[in-house]
Order: sequence, then structure tokens, then C-alpha cells
Amino acid sequence: MRVSDRFDSAFSAVSWGRLPNFGCMASHTPADGVVADVSDLVKRYGAGATAVTALDEITLELRRGEFTAIMGPSGSGKSTLMHIMAGLDAASSGTVRLGGVDITALDDGDLTELRRRRVGFVFQSFNLLPILDVLGNVLLPFELDGRKPSAEERAWIDRLIDQLGLRNRLDHRPSQLSGGQQQRVAIARALATRPEIVFADEPTGNLDSRTGREVLGLLSDASRQHGQSIAMVTHDPVAASFADRILFLADGRIVRDSGRLQPEEIATFMLSIEAQR
Amino acid sequence: MKPSLRGQIPTLIVAVIAGTFGVALVQFDGIISAAVRADPVAGASVHTVPLLLGLAAISFIVLSLYVSGVVTSNTVATVVAGRTRQIALLRLIGSSARAERGRIAREGLLVGVIGAVVGAVIGTGVAALVGHLAVASRIFRPFVYSYATPTILLPVVAVAMTTWLAAWVGSRRVLDVRPVEALGNSTERSIPDIAVHRRRHRLALVLVIVGVVFLAAGVVLGLRFPPAVLLGLIGGLLSFSGIVFAADRVIPPVLRVVGRLVGTGTPARLAAENALRYPERSSRMTVGLVIGVTLVTTFSVTMQTFQDMLAIGARNDPQQYNGLGPIISGIVTVFSILIGFSALIAAVGLVNTLSLSVMQRTRELGLMRALGFTRRQLRSMIFAEAAALTATATVVGLVLGFVYGWIGAQSMLGGVHGHPGLVAPQIPWPIVLVVVVAAAVLTLVAAVSPSRRATRISPVAALAVE
Repeated sequence: MRVSDRFDSAFSAVSWGRLPNFGCMASHTPADGVVADVSDLVKRYGAGATAVTALDEITLELRRGEFTAIMGPSGSGKSTLMHIMAGLDAASSGTVRLGGVDITALDDGDLTELRRRRVGFVFQSFNLLPILDVLGNVLLPFELDGRKPSAEERAWIDRLIDQLGLRNRLDHRPSQLSGGQQQRVAIARALATRPEIVFADEPTGNLDSRTGREVLGLLSDASRQHGQSIAMVTHDPVAASFADRILFLADGRIVRDSGRLQPEEIATFMLSIEAQR
Repeated sequence: MKPSLRGQIPTLIVAVIAGTFGVALVQFDGIISAAVRADPVAGASVHTVPLLLGLAAISFIVLSLYVSGVVTSNTVATVVAGRTRQIALLRLIGSSARAERGRIAREGLLVGVIGAVVGAVIGTGVAALVGHLAVASRIFRPFVYSYATPTILLPVVAVAMTTWLAAWVGSRRVLDVRPVEALGNSTERSIPDIAVHRRRHRLALVLVIVGVVFLAAGVVLGLRFPPAVLLGLIGGLLSFSGIVFAADRVIPPVLRVVGRLVGTGTPARLAAENALRYPERSSRMTVGLVIGVTLVTTFSVTMQTFQDMLAIGARNDPQQYNGLGPIISGIVTVFSILIGFSALIAAVGLVNTLSLSVMQRTRELGLMRALGFTRRQLRSMIFAEAAALTATATVVGLVLGFVYGWIGAQSMLGGVHGHPGLVAPQIPWPIVLVVVVAAAVLTLVAAVSPSRRATRISPVAALAVE
């Protein structure tokens, strides 16, 4: 835990006041179309002889509107990378800029606000709050912000709900939904605030392959039709083949940065990484 | 497999308090009897005092054991709900449900024995200290008393047995765990066993109806014959047991109303939803406290109404009631403290179950943090949940206690000398105030440690929990 964490509760109200307009900052983000840029990012666990380096000086840029897959075998550091980029975990050194803001300098209160307003999440499972119905889960980011969606946002959410086929499930509880339906709700929630970027962590890991492909199709539609930037962590070659760009990680480094690939090519390359280890 | 004590600290605390209370009462009995024997002017009371004290001590020990039994079985049920995955895994690799339940009951016995023995040491220490102070301040003459009396084995054994039995009762759900649950993402099961529920609710209804008939008979007959209070007592026990059995029907509606009053912000709304999500869990958490508040309120309302009736009786027949006032208020004070101990056990139970249930929600709380819940929102959510639970228990307990207390006094004294007849129930405002303040303090105490733990949860760690 960082020292600043201890003080965040006392200061969070102040810091909310200090950074009231993430939205404005987003508007003058670099015009080069970079949504996230990471430089010299290092994450180390432990200290001394037992220290483990999970991320070893990673530098990368994610382009706005692109669907990027981050691939790698287990233990390659891909989840750690995503957690740090999403403001869920702290870096050991290096910087992460999200929409022009260096998030490694933010305290816990600001990071919380960042996740609420500017980042969307789709996890592998346990995405939804069991106590809220579908609509409650989709609207949760607004509710946490203490505001009602504007008319324009409301129209956007309505459109998402229709596109994702959730219209007649709005008052269902997560426990009444299938795995695929739950992921659709998570996607609707992630897109509802039109975040800078959506992070998806193995979003199809718990689904059968047909439902998985549907969910991947929805993600790539969101990117193509609405220009939504998406970063997806996965170790499934089929899932990665839906992405515009694929970053391969091994032992905490990026070993390949590629455009769209076929599942067979991805699988072959993954096997070659595994073989070298 | 050897019993493990992990997750049994809450049960241990309850056993230690019950053991301390029981042993201290027995020791006080011994001290007072020895002091009376040492007093040359005591005369005939040498025999009557120990007898009366013994009866009073047994009543209060039984009362505290009842409350600690309810609290422990509910705590164990909460622990079992949180261990579903682990139990399912053991079932999957071939352990029988009976063996798993037996293991939890053995843990209960072990914890009960340890708690009772620790309680015996503390209780004896407290009694010895008080005895010493009483002699030093010349309340008692110096007396001869051995603290190593075999009588203290009675509360020790009773506490150990109660904990064992409560663990057995509380682990009933182990039998329903299906091996396949080891594979899913199931948290607490929400599929209730409807047939069992229906049987239990029917039994509860019968108990309440029969109990109410007895209570009414107690009030009516009490206008003529004071012994009618026994009918009232039976009616009280039956109907209250009925209410405890059907707690998952009685508590949630009250919780729903109270939950709406707690607040309208997102954290408060989520807290109310959480409290209502598993009606059984919330009922488990609050029922101990309901019993505690009901006991305290019943007793003080009885006493208040009782004193009122005595006043009326004294006006009509002054000779009979000469000098009774101070004695009665002394008894009221001592008994209130003794009943307060049962309420304390109930309060510990609520603290335990709330903190267990927050611990079992680690993953959910981590998800909330990931989605943008601030620590402050998380904290106020847990405080609101604690407040909803204690407020519900307090309201239900006050209402029940008020009714029982009035019936008790009415059936006991409606027909006593001077014929007070039917008397309006008296609300003992000081006690109501004490109960409300105690509930507020309990809310804070119960919420502090879980909310601290919850705000320390790192979203990454919580999401990684499988």
C-alpha cells in the first residue's frame, strides 16, 4: 500500500474538488489519437533476492478507437499490465498516461474517480453486483457519481440495451441470467459512460465458444461502430483474432506488436513463445 | 481430519463471555453465602439466602446459555455458508456430509471447552476481586471461602455442551452442500429448502397461537389469582420461541421499512439491498439481538408496571406494602445488570456475523472498488448496513418486550392485595433510552472493523480470489 492511500479517505473530498473536469482534459488530449501511453513501466513484487519482475520496462501506445488484444502465456504479466493501466494497481516505476493524464501520479481517490468516469471494465466472471438488477448494474457508474444520466446519455444507454438484446431482461437479477447474458450486461455497463477506454480481462474465459464469439463480436462492433478504444487481455488465440492489433507479452516484455492475425497464426506464435521458455 | 480453529474466534469470544458470566455468578453465590455465615446476626437467613441466590443464579445462567446458544448456532451457520466451496471440495473427493458436519461440531466442542475454561479463570478472578473489595470496604465481614469449589464445574460443562450443541444445530446446512458446488462460482446458496421452511413456519405459527392463548389466559385469570403468572410465563416462552423460529418471516419486513429510513444515497440503498438479499442471513444476524433487547425490555417494563401496581395496591392497603420500595428497586438494578450480560452476548453475536458476512463478500467489494466506489462510499455502505440491522433488532425487541413485560406484570399482580385491576402498561423511558444508545454504539462497534477491512481490500487482490 502506498503512503498516500492512508490519507485518501480524509482528502478524497478535497481531491474530487481539485479534479472536477476530467471530461475537459479529455478534450485536449493529444491529437495524434493515442488513448493510452505507457513508458518504461516496471512492476516488481517483493524485494532483494526474492524479488520478481512482472513487468520489465514496458513501453507502448494504444491508439484511439482501436481494439487491441494483449496476449501472452500465464505469468507473462498481461493481467498486471492491464491492472496498472486501468488504475487498479500501482506501478513500481515508469509512467502510464490515460487520455493525457499521468495516472501513476494520482492518489486513490482520483484513481477511483478515473475508473468510474473514464474507464470501463469487463471481467472474466463476477462482473455484476448480485443485489442490483440488470438496469441497476448498467446505471451503476452514474449512480456512483451521484448523478442521473442526461437525456443524451439516456438515449445512448437505450441504444446499447437494444443492441445487446437486454431489453426484456432489465429487471432480472444477475443470478437469473446465463453467462453470456451477464457478459452482455457488463459490456453495456462498460460502454454506458462512453469511457476513454474499456479494459476486458479474459471476457470469454467462462463462456462456451459460440457465446464467446458473440461477445467478441459485440466488443469489436463497439470499437468499429462507435470508435470505442478497447484493450483485451486474453490467452485465447480465437479471441485475439477479433482484435485490430495484437501485443504479445512474455516474461514481462513485449515480444511482438502485430496487426490483425488469424487464430492459427496467433496459436503458432504463442507456441513458439512457450517453447522458448 | 483434525478440527481447525480458523474462523472460530467469534464462537470462542461468546463461549468465554458465557463462561465468565456463569462462573462469576456461582462464585458470587459462594462468597455471599460464606459472608452470611460469617455474620453472627444473620440467623435464619443462613439457609434461605443461599437457596434463593442459587435459584436466581441458575435462572440467569440458563438465560445467558440460551442467548449464547442462539448466537453461536447462527455464527456457525454463517461460517458454514462461507465455507461452502471448501466443504463441497471435500465432498467431491469423497468425504461424507455427516463427517463434515461432525468435524464442525467437534470444532464447536473444542472451542466450547477452551472458552469455558478461560471464562472460569476470568470469572473466578473477577469474583475474587469483588469479594476482596467488599471485605476491604467493610460491606462483608472477613469470610472463609475456597474459590476452587466443584460447583463451578456446572457452568463450565454447561457452556461447553451448549457450544457443542449450538455448533451441531448451526451446521445443519452442511448436509445440503452438493459436491458440484466446488466447481461453480457459487457464494451463499439462495435456493431455500422450501419444504423444511414450510414445516418450520407452521410449527412457529402453532407455537405463537398457543402462546397467545396462554398469555391471554394469564392476563384474565391474573385478575383473580396471582399464580396465573405461570400461564403467562409458558405463553411467553411458547410464543417467543415461535417468533424466533419464524425470524426469517418476521425480520425482513421490518428490515425493509428500516432500510428505507436509513438513507437515500447509493451506499445506503445498496446497504438496504444487501441486508435484504439473504433474508435468512439477516435474520440469523439479528435474532440474537432481538432476544437480548426483548429480555431487557420485558424485564424493565414488568418492573415499571409492577411498581406502579404496587403503588396502587399500597394506596388501597398501606399495611401490606410497608418498606417494600427500596428492596424492589435494589433487585431491579441487580437483575437488570445480569440480563444486560445476555444482551452483551447477543451484541457480540451481531458484531461477529456482520464481520463474517463482509469478509465473505471480499470479491464483491473489490468489484465495487474497481467500478469506482470510493473508500468513503464503501465505508458508509457498511455502516448503513450495520445501522439497518441493529435498528431492526431494536425495534422488534422493544415492541415484543413491551408487550411481554406488560402481560407479565398484569398476570402476576392484577389480583394482588388491594386489587389494582387492569393497569395501563408503563414505558420505562430511561431503559428505552439506554437500549437505543446501546444500539447506536453497537452499530459503530460492529461496523468499524469490517469497514476498515473492506476499505483495505485492493481491487486486484479481490478480483483474483477464485
